[in-house]
Amino acid sequence: MTRLNLVLLMAVLASALYLVGVQYESRRLFAEIDKANAEARKLAAENERLQVEKRAQATPARVEKLAKEQLHMKSSTPAITHYVTYAASSAAADTSSANRPNPESVGRVQ
Amino acid sequence: MSRSVQYTSSPLLASRTPVWRSKFIVAAIALAFVGLAARAAYIQVFANDFFQKQGEVRFARTLELPANRGRILDRNGLILASSIPAPSIWAIPEDVDLDRAQSQRLAKLLDMPIAELNKKLADDDKTFVWLKRQVDDGVAKEIAAMNLKGIYQRKEYKRQYPEGEAAAHVVGFTSVEDNGQEGVELTFNKELAGRNGSRRVIKDRIGRVVEAVGETIAPADGQDLQLSIDSKVQFFAYQKLRDAVLENKARAGSVVVLDAITGEVLALANYPSYTPDKRRNLSGEQLRNRALTDTFEPGSVMKPFTIGLGLETGRVTPQTLIDTGVGKLNITGSTISDSHPNGVLTVEGVIQKSSNIGTTKIAMQMQPREMWELFSQAGFGQKPQISFPGAVSGRLRPYKTWRPIEQATMSYGYGLSASLFQMARSYTVFSHDGQIIPVTMLRNTEPAAGVQVLSARTAGQVRKMLQMAAGPGGTGQKAQTIGYSVGGKSGTAYKQVGNGYGSNGNRKYRSWFVGMAPIETPRIIVAVMIDEPSNGKYFGGDVAAPVFSETVQQSLRLLGVQPDMSVKPQIVVQAAEESF
Repeated sequence: MTRLNLVLLMAVLASALYLVGVQYESRRLFAEIDKANAEARKLAAENERLQVEKRAQATPARVEKLAKEQLHMKSSTPAITHYVTYAASSAAADTSSANRPNPESVGRVQ
Repeated sequence: MSRSVQYTSSPLLASRTPVWRSKFIVAAIALAFVGLAARAAYIQVFANDFFQKQGEVRFARTLELPANRGRILDRNGLILASSIPAPSIWAIPEDVDLDRAQSQRLAKLLDMPIAELNKKLADDDKTFVWLKRQVDDGVAKEIAAMNLKGIYQRKEYKRQYPEGEAAAHVVGFTSVEDNGQEGVELTFNKELAGRNGSRRVIKDRIGRVVEAVGETIAPADGQDLQLSIDSKVQFFAYQKLRDAVLENKARAGSVVVLDAITGEVLALANYPSYTPDKRRNLSGEQLRNRALTDTFEPGSVMKPFTIGLGLETGRVTPQTLIDTGVGKLNITGSTISDSHPNGVLTVEGVIQKSSNIGTTKIAMQMQPREMWELFSQAGFGQKPQISFPGAVSGRLRPYKTWRPIEQATMSYGYGLSASLFQMARSYTVFSHDGQIIPVTMLRNTEPAAGVQVLSARTAGQVRKMLQMAAGPGGTGQKAQTIGYSVGGKSGTAYKQVGNGYGSNGNRKYRSWFVGMAPIETPRIIVAVMIDEPSNGKYFGGDVAAPVFSETVQQSLRLLGVQPDMSVKPQIVVQAAEESF
């Protein structure tokens, strides 16, 4: 009888210690998950920030300025555009011939 | 055996303590233990709330889960407004202890004079002071790296507007607390804002979250909002407008671009504008969304409606001849005049030459009620059904109070007022085969269902007249653009100066142009207004029409509309005088 009690006591003690260990581990893991989540949120925010930054670098205002100043490009006009049509809808293809570049309009910057 | 407790065998030390005393002590101690046990049981089992709470205060925390404010996108999904993290820096002045180098560095990082920083930190009685709100993420990191005592950061979000001033009046801006203040940010604040969530957690000694307790309320992020605005069309419209305002030394200007099929607002810009994220020293001039809030007498822009009604009711045909005489007409004692005599004109010619007398002669055949009904249906005097702050209704008086001279002046656009936006919308009557269609700021790819105001045939006839008005011999020839057929009507008005319209040389003008392109099957409606041009030119056909032309050119190209005209060099024949 005494021996059984002793065994049970040992079992209870072992279980209690194990519980403490598990509780500790679970808290540690939870803290880690939390940290990872916070990191994920931070990265998402950073991603958003970079998206906005990218967008800000590609606004029409900036693109036009760079195209004109650095690359010396000009805005296109129908006068210097040759319109082509897909073969499938070749019925309308003859419209392109009407829009041949006009010497007086070529090079006009708008 | 005496009735006492013997502590020793020595008779000298024999105590005479009676037994009941020791028993009493034992009983007293036992009672004390019972008391303690009862108290312990009471505290731990029956009345544990207070201590439970006190315990929780020390390790449980409620964390707020901030919801992200929704983004504002243009019709192609490009970002017009988005929130990015921007921590705010605050301090407990009493705890702050900076040496000279540190405060210099901090002041530099915060971009403020060192004196200002010291002033903020001087008041030791305060327990909370904002040093700077919403600094850049990088700056915040550097400040955090300095590891200063008594200086803390609070996570906040800042709105970022990549399009800057070009789209400022459409998008608007938010306050530092992330509430919409202007534009779409204000109108759709509820949808954009989202709802913060919260969760309860247990924190350990060093502040790590170790356990979640109770229920977690997830944050509901704000919805993304997709506008009908096309950011490229918006930019070009703004750019052309700005150039024109500067070139004409004007006070201000507005431009509206509508999709003639779906009723979407493709662009809405005003100049002067502002940069939404740098709002120091903003003036009302810059803030005002003129296209929606400023009303003025629409002038010649109204003539197509009067003529349209004449055509619709069969009173005239496009070829009916109208004698405009020598440019003067007397109506109940008041004189209406054209800028110069036009003689006998067809109805088409009346629009083309913008003859006040011709329009009046047609209008005087009509009932005031008919005109009033058409004008109301076209949206004049009605608040536009658009979800936007500050939209005004303009003024259109009830027809019962119209005197004959007023009916006459109203037929060519005086005596009533409207915003540029209303004018742009009213022209959907002509572009959409006689239907006035609802306009929207939100993306909508379905063709709009409108209310039939005029017949499709009449609308087509008026479109042809508008094309003539913008063509050779018309008042708005500078509206012509390469490759696309256009039609539209210009307008010019004296602005009221003090008690009248100002004397010669001291007059102030407002010029505008409303039109559509391509004219056969209109795709866009563009309305341009320039306020107080003062560089010699002031007619709508000279000042506003070029902006119309350039905006149409760029917009149709961006929308992928194929030119409907063979390309000719842009030649402007001698401009006809226009009347107003």
